[in-house]
Amino acid sequence: MTRTLQEAPAAARRPRIGGWELALGVLLLVQLLVFSLAVPGFFDGVSGLLNVTTNFLPFGLVALGLVPVILTGGIDLSVGAVAGFSAVLMAVLWKHFGLNLGVAVPLALLAGGLLGALNGLLITRTRTEPLIITLATSFVFNSVTTALAGAEPPSGFPDSFNALGTGALGGVPYQLILFAALAIVISLLITRTRFGRSVVMVGYNRDATRYSGINVDRTVLGVYVISGVMAALAGVVLAAYYSAVRSDMGDILLLTALTMVVLGGINIFGGEGSVLGAVLAVLLLGFLRQGLLIAGFSDMVTTMVTGAILLVAITAKNLLSTPGAFTRRMKERFSRPSTAPPEQLTK
Amino acid sequence: MPKQSLKSTALIATAALCVGAALAAAPSTTKRIKVAMVPKLLGLSVFKANEKGAVAASKDLNIDFLYTAPVTASAQGQVEIFNSLIARKYDVITTTSNNPTQLAPALRRAMKMGIKVVSYDSDVSADARDFFIQNTSYPEMGKALVDSVAKYIAPDAEVAILSSTPDATIQNEWIKALTAYMKTAYPKMKIVTTQYGYSNPTQSLTAGVNILQANKNVKAIIAPDGGAEVGAAAAVEKLGLTGKVFVTGCSNPDSIRDYVKKDVIKASPLWDEVKEGQLVMHVARLAANNALQKNDSFTAGSLGKFDVKNGVIVFSKPLVFTKANIDQYQF
Repeated sequence: MTRTLQEAPAAARRPRIGGWELALGVLLLVQLLVFSLAVPGFFDGVSGLLNVTTNFLPFGLVALGLVPVILTGGIDLSVGAVAGFSAVLMAVLWKHFGLNLGVAVPLALLAGGLLGALNGLLITRTRTEPLIITLATSFVFNSVTTALAGAEPPSGFPDSFNALGTGALGGVPYQLILFAALAIVISLLITRTRFGRSVVMVGYNRDATRYSGINVDRTVLGVYVISGVMAALAGVVLAAYYSAVRSDMGDILLLTALTMVVLGGINIFGGEGSVLGAVLAVLLLGFLRQGLLIAGFSDMVTTMVTGAILLVAITAKNLLSTPGAFTRRMKERFSRPSTAPPEQLTK
Repeated sequence: MPKQSLKSTALIATAALCVGAALAAAPSTTKRIKVAMVPKLLGLSVFKANEKGAVAASKDLNIDFLYTAPVTASAQGQVEIFNSLIARKYDVITTTSNNPTQLAPALRRAMKMGIKVVSYDSDVSADARDFFIQNTSYPEMGKALVDSVAKYIAPDAEVAILSSTPDATIQNEWIKALTAYMKTAYPKMKIVTTQYGYSNPTQSLTAGVNILQANKNVKAIIAPDGGAEVGAAAAVEKLGLTGKVFVTGCSNPDSIRDYVKKDVIKASPLWDEVKEGQLVMHVARLAANNALQKNDSFTAGSLGKFDVKNGVIVFSKPLVFTKANIDQYQF
C-alpha cells in the first residue's frame, strides 16, 4: 500500500471540521436531546448533565493519549496497566512514604511517562510490532502493580484530592476542565507543530517520512511517552474518583478508550483522524452508556449497544470514505431504470 | 395511574388498619418503594438464589424490585450502576461488594441523597451503608468447616487449606476462625499448607492436585470458597483418593451435589441463599420506613427474629449440606 505524499494527510492540513466530526456532533446533540426528553433523571440541570461526564472522562483522557499513537499506526495496549501502576504508586508514596499528594501526583505522571518511554524504546530499538511489545509490557506492569499494592491497597485520600475526581468549579467538573484543556493542547500539538506533522506523516507513509529526513524513531518514542503520561493521569483521576486504588483498576480503560478513538474516525492504520473526532466520540459513547444505564438498561445491553454502534459507524464510514465509490453506487442506483436486475445493484 | 395508585394505597391502608393490631410487628407497606439489588456480577447461581428470595419477599412488602449487576465482577461496573440508581431516585440500594473501598464514595453520595444502603454477603466500608447483613458469624462458620471433616478423619490428621486469593477478606476471616476452633477442639490436628485457587475451578483443581501430591499425609482439604471446593473435590477424585481424603468448603449445593453423593464431600456448610434474599428485602423495607435503628431487633415474617448490633445483622447459623438433605436445596 503506497500512498503519495501529494494526498496530504487530513490532520496535517489546517484544522477543518470534516464530515465525520460533523456527523458525530449531530449524533451527540440528538442523543442528548432524546435522553433528556425520554429518560427521567438524565437531565437534572446543566451542571447535573455536566456532572455525568465525571463517570466516563478517565476513558477520555486515555483516548486522548491514544490518538497520537494510533496516528503513527501504532497501538498501546499497556495504557490500563500504566494507569493502574501510576495510581497505586501515587497512593503508596502518599500512604507509606508520607509524601504530600502534590509531590506524589507529579511523580506518578513522571512514572507513566517513563513507562511510555520504555514502550517506545523497545518498539524502536527492537523493531518489533507495538502490539506485541505493549501486550508484553502490560503483563509486566500489571504484576509489578499487584506486588506494589499489597493485600490492602491504600484508600481514603483527602477530600481536596478527591475533588479532582468528583468536584466541580462553578458547576463545571474539574475532570471536564482538565479534559478540555488537554484536548486543546493535543489538538494543537498534532495540527500546529513540527512534531505533530511528523506523527501524522509516520502513520501515513513511514518510508517517505524517513527519506524526508524526519527522525521517525524519535517521533514514535514521543507518542508513547504522551500515551503513558495520559494513562497515568487517567489513573490518578480514577483514584480521586473512587478515593481508593486497586491494582486492577486500569483494566477496563483500554478497550473502551480504543473504541472511542476508532469511533472518532482515527484510522487504526495511522495517518488520518482528528482530536476533535475523538473528543466527540468520547462524549457520544460516554453519554450513551450513562443514558442507557439511567434508563434502566442492564450493563449487558449497554455493552452490546456499544459494540453494535462501533460496527455500524465504522462500516458506514468506510463506505462513505472510499473515494467516490459509495456516491457512484448511489448514483448508479438511482439513474438506472427500475427494471435493472437486482444482482447488478449489489455489485 | 396516580388515581389508581391512590386507590390501592387507600385500600392497603384500610386493610392495614383492619389487621393493624394483629400485625403490629410487621413493617408498614403502604408506600410502594423502589429497591435495587446489585450483586458482584450477573450469572452466579448463589446471587440468583438471593434474587429468587428477594423477588418473593418484594411482593409481600410492596417493593418495586430491580436486579442488576455488571457483566464482570468489577467495582467500577457497580459504581456505574449505583450512579444510575441515584439518578433514578431509588429508595434503597442493596449490594454485595466487589471491593469495600472503591464503592464507598458512590454509596456515600447515595446516602446523602436520602437513599438507604443495605449491604449483604460482602460488606462495604461501615460509613457507606446503613445496614450490613452478614451471612453467618465467622466463628460459627469456622466451627462448621472443621466439624464437616473432623468427624471422618483421625484427631491428629494433617489438613490442608485451599482458599481463593491471599487478600480475600471473608476467606481470611474464616481461616482465622477455623484455625482458632481447631486449636481448642482438635488440638492435635495440623494445618500443613495453605494454597490459593483464585476462585477458579481449573486453577483450584491444579492447586488441589499439588497439595495432595506434595503432602501424602493430608486427610482433608478445607476449601472455603465456591471454586476451591469444587476444584479440591475434583482433585481428590482424579487421584483416586475418594474415601481417604475428605473435602469441605462453602459452595452452593448445585455445584457440589455430585461430589456429596459420591462421598468425596461428606458435609459442606453454607447458608440458605434464598432466605437471605428475603431478609435483605425485609431490611430494605424497614430501612426505607426509617423503622430500624443501628442497635435494634425486628421480626422478618416467617424468617423469625433478628438482632441489629452496630448496623450489622447476622443472618443465620451455617446450614450444613449432607447426602441426606442436599436435594432439598436447588441453587
